[in-house]
Amino acid sequence: MAPKDGTPSGGGSDSRFFNTNKKGEMHELRMELHSTDRNIKVDAVKKVIASMTVGKDVSMLFTDVLNCAQTANIELKKLVYLYLINYAKSQPELTLLAVNTFVKDASDPNPLIRALAVRTMGCIRVDRITEYLCEPLGRALRDEDPYVRKTAAVCVAKLYDIAPELVRERGFIETLHDLISDSNPSVVANGVAALSEISETSGRDVMKISASVLQKLLAALNECTEWGQVFILDSLAKYTPADAREAEGIIERVTPRLQHANSAVVMSAVKVILSYMDVMGGGAHADSIRALTRKLAPPLVTLLNSEPEIQYVALRNINLIVQKRPNILENEIKVFFCKYNDPIYVKMEKLEIIIKLVSEKNIDQVLLELKEYATEVDVDFVRKSVSAIGRCAVKLDRAAERCIGVLLELIQTKVNYVVQESVIVIKDIFRRYPNRYESIIATLCDNLDTLDEPQAKAAMIWIIGEYAERIDNADELLDAFLETFEEEDPAVQLQLLTATVKCFLKNPEETQDMVQRVLDLATEESDNPDLRDRGFIYWRLLSTDPEAAKLVVLGDKPVIEDDTFRLEPNLLNVLVGQIATLSSIYHKPPEAFVVRAKRGATGSDGMGVGDLGDDIEEGDEEEYEDDNDVNRGGGGDDLLDIGGLSMNDNAASSNYGNLGLEPDMFGAPTPSVAEPEARMSKVCAPEKSGGIELWAGFRQVQGAVKLELDVRNISSNVPVSTLAIQLNKNSFGLSPAAQQIMCNPPIPVGGSGRHSVELVVNPAMLVQAPAGQPASPQIQVAIKNMTTGLVFYFAVNFAFEVLFSPDGALERATFIESWKSIDDKKELYGTVSDLPPASTDIDQVAAKFKAHHIFLIARRPVPNAEGQEVAYFSMRTTTGMVFMAELTFKKGVNAAKVCLKTEQIAYGVQAKVALETLLRS
Amino acid sequence: MIVNFFILSPRGDTVIAKTYRAKAGSSLLAHERSHTEAFFRKVKFWDGVAPGTPGMDTTLGLTGGLSGAAGLQGSGGKWGEEKLEKKGDAPPVFVMPDGYSYMHIKRNGLIFGCATEKNVSPVVVIELLSKIAKVFKDYCGTLSEESIRKNFILLYELLDELLDYGYPQVTQTENLKAFVYNEPIVVSKVADTGKMINPKTANASAVHKPVISSVDADGRKTSLSANQKNEIFVDILERLNVVFSNNGYVLNSTIDGCIQMKSYLAGNPQLRLALNEDLVIGKNNGSSSAYSTITFVDDINFNDCVNLSEWENGRTLSFHPPDGEFVVLNYRMTGEFKAPFRIFPSIEEVEPNKLEISVHIRAEIPDNHFGANVSIEIPLPGITTAASCSVVSTPGAAGVHAEYVTKEKKIVWNLKKFPGCTEQTMRAKVSLGGPCTSQIRREIGPINMNFEIPMYNVSSLQVRYLKIAENLPGYTPYRWVRYVTQSSSYVCRL
Repeated sequence: MAPKDGTPSGGGSDSRFFNTNKKGEMHELRMELHSTDRNIKVDAVKKVIASMTVGKDVSMLFTDVLNCAQTANIELKKLVYLYLINYAKSQPELTLLAVNTFVKDASDPNPLIRALAVRTMGCIRVDRITEYLCEPLGRALRDEDPYVRKTAAVCVAKLYDIAPELVRERGFIETLHDLISDSNPSVVANGVAALSEISETSGRDVMKISASVLQKLLAALNECTEWGQVFILDSLAKYTPADAREAEGIIERVTPRLQHANSAVVMSAVKVILSYMDVMGGGAHADSIRALTRKLAPPLVTLLNSEPEIQYVALRNINLIVQKRPNILENEIKVFFCKYNDPIYVKMEKLEIIIKLVSEKNIDQVLLELKEYATEVDVDFVRKSVSAIGRCAVKLDRAAERCIGVLLELIQTKVNYVVQESVIVIKDIFRRYPNRYESIIATLCDNLDTLDEPQAKAAMIWIIGEYAERIDNADELLDAFLETFEEEDPAVQLQLLTATVKCFLKNPEETQDMVQRVLDLATEESDNPDLRDRGFIYWRLLSTDPEAAKLVVLGDKPVIEDDTFRLEPNLLNVLVGQIATLSSIYHKPPEAFVVRAKRGATGSDGMGVGDLGDDIEEGDEEEYEDDNDVNRGGGGDDLLDIGGLSMNDNAASSNYGNLGLEPDMFGAPTPSVAEPEARMSKVCAPEKSGGIELWAGFRQVQGAVKLELDVRNISSNVPVSTLAIQLNKNSFGLSPAAQQIMCNPPIPVGGSGRHSVELVVNPAMLVQAPAGQPASPQIQVAIKNMTTGLVFYFAVNFAFEVLFSPDGALERATFIESWKSIDDKKELYGTVSDLPPASTDIDQVAAKFKAHHIFLIARRPVPNAEGQEVAYFSMRTTTGMVFMAELTFKKGVNAAKVCLKTEQIAYGVQAKVALETLLRS
Repeated sequence: MIVNFFILSPRGDTVIAKTYRAKAGSSLLAHERSHTEAFFRKVKFWDGVAPGTPGMDTTLGLTGGLSGAAGLQGSGGKWGEEKLEKKGDAPPVFVMPDGYSYMHIKRNGLIFGCATEKNVSPVVVIELLSKIAKVFKDYCGTLSEESIRKNFILLYELLDELLDYGYPQVTQTENLKAFVYNEPIVVSKVADTGKMINPKTANASAVHKPVISSVDADGRKTSLSANQKNEIFVDILERLNVVFSNNGYVLNSTIDGCIQMKSYLAGNPQLRLALNEDLVIGKNNGSSSAYSTITFVDDINFNDCVNLSEWENGRTLSFHPPDGEFVVLNYRMTGEFKAPFRIFPSIEEVEPNKLEISVHIRAEIPDNHFGANVSIEIPLPGITTAASCSVVSTPGAAGVHAEYVTKEKKIVWNLKKFPGCTEQTMRAKVSLGGPCTSQIRREIGPINMNFEIPMYNVSSLQVRYLKIAENLPGYTPYRWVRYVTQSSSYVCRL
């Protein structure tokens, strides 16, 4: 709300409230706030709010404004509350002063005021306020006025976010369940919304749908507000019907929602029907499924007549739906044809769906459209249209010739990017239909000069190499490219190398010099490891056994397939279940982007996840590019493309580093302290990772931090051979020393393997915990299966003890001094109960701790307390943080008190948790 | 649901901002502001790649990541240079580096946006943003930066009721009245720049009146009752999407229709609206329609407030009209219909670098109707050096003018009035800076036509009657029922 200087101050406009920049304005405002004239008072509060919204600090007027709340005038009261809510966020302690007003207003005769008080209190995240909230909230939930009840329902969700235990103690969740059958539609809507929210934040299914709840929800569906209908439908979508009959019954109740003017209702109804259709299966219900399929098409198409923003969301969802159930929209391809005035983001999505729906029946129509799009203005759109023509060819055998005809026509236009894009897709067409359309090579060769993008060049060079025997001057063409070999992009260099070798094998006499030159360039001049490695392999192959080289290099390549259905079936199923959520827009499972509300105390740290997105994105584009080509079946890569194995420098060096560091090679191992095993926990279920289950844990080996990964191949048809790993920025600055995990031998279905990834501390990966908040124990990990190209994500809590270094024992005197120097207020303490017997004895505890580099400094009995003994421990992390702990044990009691002191207050909780976990284990 | 809500001006200033959920640690306004600034930059200079938005990585398929930003740099070309900076509009949903998903809509140049950290339904959020924009318009009378700034306290008051904890609450204009104590300040309507509003075709949204009594710019209260007529505006609005081939054949055609109302009826009585009795919903697969009068509609959907109990049998709807502008129902037709204008283009190469383009348009609407504010655009090749246009008009056509706009390389042909059953022709002599190759030929077109036709609808959907359900003696509201046909995307390919 930046006021513009010189805004006319006259008139009845609210902007006059901004013009109070004179001296003593606060004093003036204060006088006005205490005025007895109601209008002056109201205007004064408005001025205060105006200042507040432009970011001025008016907190010094807090008590004066608060005084104004003592009024029966609801307009004034609302303004005061507006002010209060604002400071509730930035200065919660000030709001404590308002508690009395809140409590009083919560039993005001006017329902608007009662609701206002409850709503505002819920927004104030201060424990003291929360205490006072429970009473009025309990009353408000049973208030006679629906406006108050609906406000209270949402307030329960607010309270759950601050103090879940209070919600449980007070039985508010049960009350929310009662509200589902409330007589007022808004109350029902908010009741369902609150329950869904609590289920989501807590991870517990408080919205459990039983037979009676189901009936309540279905009954409410007809009465509810449009938003309430969305919440109910979303809850229904999570429910799994007992059998096909129940599914059909519910669908029947939901179907009328498809004709709602609010697209949100339509979309959620579609979601329910789609997920229940799975339950119905085929067989006896094939007819009902067919009928439903027919019913779903019109509302989906209608969504495309909404505002472009809705269209975009609908199209991203339809993209998933046509992959899951192609027949729903098979006859509707025309509605996805782009309109002249569609925004570009809508056009791009429509194009994607056109390719998915294209068939022998409609290909002529589609080609006509695509050809038209290729003359439009937007370069990205044109390129994508050209590419789409090629994809149609790859998809439809019988139409391939027509598609190629159109591509050739487009090449004739000589428009630079159209030609390049055409070359790129023609390469794919050659891979799909080998030895069928070589006649067009001549046309391509005429356009060599136009090519200046690496991808197009690489594609063209691949074509030259592959069909060298049919191109009279293949060697000359390659020779021309070789002149600029050193300046080329690595992708082009790799293709040049391969193409030259192919050319040589086909026509050895004339190209001997050339192949020698390329091999020299690749192995000696280049510092790209991929290129060098490939060069060496060819060299060795050619020098040892040229016939074998022929078999390998010129061998038959697998024919690529249509990639239109690109989403991996497991992921697709996950995403179809997520229709009408952000997940369905991003085509990523929710874990990949949702900031967990309850991940330790770092809820505020949104940056981290964004970074993860960045990292993965980059990774996809840069490091794994070659690999992507393999996955796509894209043509540029022959069998010797070792992109999938590309080992980056980082990986190589650290592996060697490890060898050098083995300290026990010659010396006697120290058997006294066996290296503790990692505690493994399941972190990734097969549904979201293409059939791979992952268990993860941390341990320290020879002073190095290792992330242990158990990889279990549950249902991935492709054996797991190579994985790439990346960590998001985390509180410990940990990052993998090498990004490659090689499974040797590859893990087939049903198999499993344990791999450990060394983690090193990298300050660039460190996320500082926000001041005054504990560091998050969570480490977010992204794994990419290099064979399938699938990226998946999980989070695992770090085992802090793994960071403790062997030199963590403090001198006794130092310990005492440090212990005393830390304020008792910074102490962290807690009680660990239900200890295993071994953990009640200090000697055994000390031994166990020592294995984890937690050192016993001293122990002594507690004076005047029979049977109690305290032990002091110290530990130091490899990063230099020192922690001191006092453990109190009592004979015959299987519990211990833990008290921890440290200057590194942010990590204190971590150290304490580590101690407690070790005690329990 | 959503964490906050904000309105940004076209320059990116925050006009309204409200936080519904405390984000721990970043609750200070200043922080919020830097987030919205980053968001605005992203929207303004959309580069086609958002972290987390998979637009590029999952959709480009075979072409891979390379054809993204990097690939473009080198492509140069005629259009390449202009497009380097900004690649079209930002999609309405994307993730920002702060980990929050931002969603936004644009209305009257303003950005209505919000952020969320959860996996919410984007359809709900976008519908909600549209509802907020509508409510603001209903209460302020107009939707502009000025009207929002002037009414900020009223709008904050509304926002408190519209959303609680980020969940949509009361979003219907009339239901909100009970909770609102501030009065809107009416901003004098800025003269509509350029575009003439034909009083007969201006639709209901052109009525700039707040739904509650307001104060004018001098602080005088304009009483609701004195000023308010007992009236209701009903629009049957049809927007046409038609694609013609160069020989005048219709390639693709749809009608997006809606019945829209704006009610200022005193006492909010129940209304009954009846449509054609023979209306059939479902795709018209047979050719029967050519011989019968049956009206086919592919799909239809209704506002929440509509009672459908008499729909199946009598095609009659009953409802209490909510205040402010609202859509009673939307419908969609793809069946054959008679395009109101047919376009016949021809291009002749008279000399190697001279073209003669003629466009012939026939109005196939009855002669008592006319097209208003008709505008036809014909993009010409980039190498065009000059073009001269001449028009042949028949009597009755008014405000005819055609000219070549050098800057945009296109011919713009305007007709204020295009009478029914007439033909209009425009001829242009185009000089090119070089010979006309097939690629140059391709740069011509497509011809894009904009128009509106007052009191005419293309489909045969009709309002049989609109009446007040109960018989209230002496209650005589003014009914303004209008049929309007507009072009949405009316294009002829060359």
